[in-house]
Amino acid sequence: MGLLDFFKKAKTERKVVLIGLDGTPYTLLKQYIEDGTMPNLARITNDCLLKQMDVSIPEVSSTSWTCFYTGCNPAQHGIFGFLDLQPNSYKIYFPNSRNVKMPALWDIVGNSGKRSVVINVPQTYPAKQTNGVLISGFVATDIKKATYPAELLPTLSELGYRLDPDAARARESKEAFIEDILDVFEKRRRTILHLFEHEKWSLFIGTVTETDRLHHFMWDAAVDPNHKYHDAFKEFYRRVDKLLGEVYERLDTSTTFMMCSDHGFTKIEQQVYLNYWLKSNGYLSFTSDTPKSIEEIGSNSRAFALDPTRIYINLKGKYPQGTVSTGEYERLRSEIADGLLSLEHNGQRILQRVFMKEEIFRGPLLEQAPDLVVLSNYGYDMKGATNKQVLMDTELFTGMHTQDDAHLLIGRRGTARPSIERKPHICDIAPTILKELDIAVPPDMVGRALV
Amino acid sequence: MQKGFTLWFTGLSGAGKTTLAHMVEAELRRRGCKVEVLDGDVIRTNLSKGLGFSKEDRDTNIRRIGFVCHLLSRNGVVAIAAAISPYRAVRDEVRAQIGDFVEVYVRCPLEVAAARDVKGLYAKAMAGEIPAFTGVSDPYEEPLNPEILVDTSVQTKEESFKVIMLRLEELGYVPKAEAEVYSEDEEEEVKRRLEELGYL
Ligand SMILES: Nc1ncnc2c1ncn2[C@@H]1O[C@H](COP(=O)(O)OP(=O)(O)OP(=O)(O)O)[C@@H](O)[C@H]1O
Ligand SMILES: [Mg+2]
Repeated sequence: MGLLDFFKKAKTERKVVLIGLDGTPYTLLKQYIEDGTMPNLARITNDCLLKQMDVSIPEVSSTSWTCFYTGCNPAQHGIFGFLDLQPNSYKIYFPNSRNVKMPALWDIVGNSGKRSVVINVPQTYPAKQTNGVLISGFVATDIKKATYPAELLPTLSELGYRLDPDAARARESKEAFIEDILDVFEKRRRTILHLFEHEKWSLFIGTVTETDRLHHFMWDAAVDPNHKYHDAFKEFYRRVDKLLGEVYERLDTSTTFMMCSDHGFTKIEQQVYLNYWLKSNGYLSFTSDTPKSIEEIGSNSRAFALDPTRIYINLKGKYPQGTVSTGEYERLRSEIADGLLSLEHNGQRILQRVFMKEEIFRGPLLEQAPDLVVLSNYGYDMKGATNKQVLMDTELFTGMHTQDDAHLLIGRRGTARPSIERKPHICDIAPTILKELDIAVPPDMVGRALV
Repeated sequence: MQKGFTLWFTGLSGAGKTTLAHMVEAELRRRGCKVEVLDGDVIRTNLSKGLGFSKEDRDTNIRRIGFVCHLLSRNGVVAIAAAISPYRAVRDEVRAQIGDFVEVYVRCPLEVAAARDVKGLYAKAMAGEIPAFTGVSDPYEEPLNPEILVDTSVQTKEESFKVIMLRLEELGYVPKAEAEVYSEDEEEEVKRRLEELGYL
């Protein structure tokens, strides 16, 4: 190989940069491109394609981001929500990075000798060893366990890096909450740019989760131009746009730029409590009036729900107080599905669909999957709370997740915008990134490369 | 997928095979393994119903248990056998058939097992009411090289259990306990943060 070839090759080493925006809908970005709130993003879409994207079900960050970074179905990677039950028990546990049963994208990249920088992707705590740098995202609590390698800790502390805003502030004052979000974002931004410059990497993933926090508590401000905090909401996205510009201007034509979210957002009309519905329809009982969790399930219960949209049949043999035999299983499932589908509020159906587990989950962990998963219509936020005495109400939250309005952006600076015919799915991202990096896609990834 | 294997408890009646098998079963389930226990007492009521305690019948019983363990292990299940299995040759035969085979010798001197007399069988055997009772009127051939050895005359059942779990981790057959991922305080903090976002 001649020297010239060597330089040519070195120059064209493929890289991928992905900025994740937790909970940012495609439709919101579209609107902000059009109304001038996000001028950098508008410019980026001259080279890059922005598309609406579907995510996995349930449309919750822990499941979605794990689909993102494994390219696999939840019945392969094992993360069905932020909480799950321990085997053969009603005891709750919080799945962490060690419960993820499929290899992470950056580990596959690492196995081919390339380095990754991964910042703040949810469901990666505690940080596992990888070829590169990883700072865990939600629900990370201890910065030491959230950082790999440990040598990075002094740098993070110099940068003032914070894992997460304090959502409790939203209860005290919206101003304090916004201020906190801006502070965390600014430190995240600095850290992203610092590691971008100072680390060696082929894959760079920087995720912003402040978006999601803001949406949960202030989506009403996003959609109402007369809302007291409408401008504050937009101002946050102007800052996100600035970060996108700062990253994009650092890219060359051999680096693929991507953006994505793990779900969209829409306005809450009502929160709907599945366990209350099960209880009032005779499928579920508790041993106390205000049960703190499913652990207080009463005997003779036939089904229960876990947040947000998961319903489990209380099967004999699978649960300590199981009551339902395999012979009754199918009939009970369809009965519950029919009952839920007929739920209405103000003359409008609450649910779009009720999925049987085998319709959406595929993989060796199918048995652990919820037996039914509901998908609601926009406005109806399904909840797994056990202590509610009403079917519906509203709380502090004004925004809820959507499954069909996440976003995906892909392209390269200064090159023609790619075209993608089909609607992408979040599982397509990992294989797409591997392909961009010239790394073989493992056969068990269910997603397919988009370009 | 979790790799299947067979955990084979052998030892005198009353040594602690059933007790330890069920402790290990519960723990492995908690760690996400599929587990099946084949207990000698249970097997003799169905799969080996009608078999007696001659050497030939005892060997047949063990071969049947071994065969089922083999089927389970090769399909990703941890098969746990708890049977006296007094004869070395047939244990080794089963070991060779299964491959992924971990033998646990539950050692307990006859005097201690007889003093426990969990089922009241030793008293009867010593009174000559049960012919061919292992350790009393029938031989028990100790394993020469078991992967795991516990001595239940000097260990509590919790200690014996711990020895078995640590050794299984060491052998790479079971995933390590996840205990230290979240401390109790941390778990409270995780709970609080999920609650703040309405996820509980
Ligand atoms: N370290 C120990 N491990 C297991 N069991 C112990 C230990 N120390 C004391 N024990 C007691 O010994 C008894 C063992 O009874 P167990 O039924 O488990 O024996 P076994 O080996 O299954 O007998 P059998 O072959 O007759 O079924 C129990 O009462 C148990 O509590
Ligand atoms: Mg026994």
